[in-house]
Amino acid sequence: MTGQIAIIGAGPSGCFLAQALLKSDPALQVDLIDRLPVPYGLVRYGVAADHQGTKAVSRQFARLFERQGARFFGNVSIGSDVTLDDLRGAYDAVVLAAGLSADRALAVPGGDLGGVFGAGKLTRALYEHPEAEALPQLGPRPLIVGNGNVAIDLLRLLAKTPEELEGSDLGHSPTDWLAASGIEEITITGRSPAAAAKFDTVMIKELGKLGGVTIRVLGAGETDDPQARKKLEALAALEEGEGPRRITFRFGLTPIAVEGDSRAEAVRFASDAGEEVLPCSSVLTAIGFDAPGDLPRDLLLAEESEGKLAEGLYATGWFRRGPRGTIPDNRADAKELAERILTEIAPDTTKTGAALLGALPDTTDYSGWSRIDNAETANPPPGRCRVKITTREDMLRLAREEETQ
Amino acid sequence: MNINVLYGTETGNAEMLAEDIAAELEANHEVTAINLSDFDPANFDADTLYLLVCSTYGDGELPASAQPFAEKLESEQPDLTGVHFGIFGMGDSEYEETFNGGPKTLAELMIARGASQLGDRIAHDASGTDMAEDIAFPWAEQIVGMADETIGQAA
Ligand SMILES: Cc1cc2nc3c(=O)[nH]c(=O)nc-3n(C[C@H](O)[C@H](O)[C@H](O)COP(=O)(O)OP(=O)(O)OC[C@H]3O[C@@H](n4cnc5c(N)ncnc54)[C@H](O)[C@@H]3O)c2cc1C
Ligand SMILES: Cc1cc2nc3c(=O)[nH]c(=O)nc-3n(C[C@H](O)[C@H](O)[C@H](O)COP(=O)(O)O)c2cc1C
Repeated sequence: MTGQIAIIGAGPSGCFLAQALLKSDPALQVDLIDRLPVPYGLVRYGVAADHQGTKAVSRQFARLFERQGARFFGNVSIGSDVTLDDLRGAYDAVVLAAGLSADRALAVPGGDLGGVFGAGKLTRALYEHPEAEALPQLGPRPLIVGNGNVAIDLLRLLAKTPEELEGSDLGHSPTDWLAASGIEEITITGRSPAAAAKFDTVMIKELGKLGGVTIRVLGAGETDDPQARKKLEALAALEEGEGPRRITFRFGLTPIAVEGDSRAEAVRFASDAGEEVLPCSSVLTAIGFDAPGDLPRDLLLAEESEGKLAEGLYATGWFRRGPRGTIPDNRADAKELAERILTEIAPDTTKTGAALLGALPDTTDYSGWSRIDNAETANPPPGRCRVKITTREDMLRLAREEETQ
Repeated sequence: MNINVLYGTETGNAEMLAEDIAAELEANHEVTAINLSDFDPANFDADTLYLLVCSTYGDGELPASAQPFAEKLESEQPDLTGVHFGIFGMGDSEYEETFNGGPKTLAELMIARGASQLGDRIAHDASGTDMAEDIAFPWAEQIVGMADETIGQAA
């Protein structure tokens, strides 16, 4: 044995790290631990239900467990079920790949009014995360604050007709919820001018395929930069549809207050032209993510240097870098960190590794996840490729079931 | 036969497939899977069969690991006359107009330098129902069969 490594979080960062480690040294024992009974993090609960091609990356991750000897310990929360110190005591190296799941708050007066919802919360509810809250009422005129890819994902899903969700894994109740949303108009606002907006051009082009919308783009401005010009051209090309739902893009608007008595009724913005108030029936914020607080991230990262936090303790992915970057960025990050860990690891044969986790009740392993996965994909209804198991109890029950002969 | 499976990837799907293809052909051939980022176009060799596996990124562009290679093909203009390759592309039909744009570009660059393509360029769809390896294994066997007739003949 050449060492035991525990990775906290079985999202893309944790999985890519395990992949890189095991590729270099197949004899390592790599254990992926996740607080959910199921693996793959935001590939399952963040990547949009209508982007199944992107989710196909999980086939690589399945390999880790099926052929490369990695183990999955699901339903184990580090920080509560097991402390980080105990885990460090049991493994030669521990890596934090726990992501960032809390919505960054809209820090303006009224930002905490009813009717203001974070994109993380909302997408977790749409994608049936076991800890999600019920899907809220958005009313006829939701307003999206933010111009990243997550904001565009939300916009696209809210704007899609039921037919346009064919082939996705959007669940039964979220599908009904969308069909009954009564949304008439969606306004999406960004702080920067359009040329500097964070969204990728392809995300904008994809909106051009929506059949049920009429899109207006106001104040997109101009640019000399060829890359940015592609963004503006993609936006301009959207102004063709004639569907019943209206979508309006606005730029250069910085929110300064959410207005309303008990519930959001409008957002007040500052812009170059002065203040402007846009009425709405709800506010959806897609302005980034923060640590949820179950692990003391700031403290842990205080001395961080290229992924190393302390002797035998490392971090990667969104947990280390902040809520920026796509799945490929996490792969590059994980590959670099794997090299570093491999040069630094000093195996200690007295460390007991997963014995610590074996003592916990209700953990799931990879075969348990396979049973859940099979149950989800065995008989999807027409137009769907998967029906997610939505509660922790049902997941645990399925994971425990012995395979029938 | 000497076979190099060269892959261009961004999130690793093409890499996994390239390794699977290599494993599949290993029993009967000398096979190595190599990342395009580690391959110098000056090292192409007429006695080796090249199986290219490449994905698509951004807006129909080459994935990160294929870009330095493509730049070298353009800047150094190596003469690839006599070099034989097959190409298996990966993409996602969600990106309509730019579907499999990366491998298309790669094949064009190879041909422009004089290399000969064996068989059709395959376009795998990540949003489709086919597993990449289910299409890629028969494809690889087919290209190897074609190469049997061409490579070595000249030598
Ligand atoms: C809504 C949304 C849509 C996105 N869409 C795309 C897209 O289409 N394409 C793309 O390339 N990127 C997309 N991204 C970005 C991508 O999801 C991230 O880059 C990536 O998921 C980050 O990986 P990670 O492993 O660091 O974090 P995560 O994916 O969040 O994984 C972290 C894992 O750690 C677990 N965990 C957390 N705390 C603990 C704990 N205390 N103990 C044990 N386990 C814990 C979590 O349950 C989770 O499984 C999207 C992001 C969001 C939010
Ligand atoms: C951000 C992004 C952009 C993409 N752009 C395209 C595209 O323009 N055309 C296409 O056919 N596929 C596109 N794809 C799909 C990938 O090529 C496909 O998922 C492939 O399997 C990835 O293989 P890899 O992991 O080896 O890079 C894109 C995927 C992502 C995540």
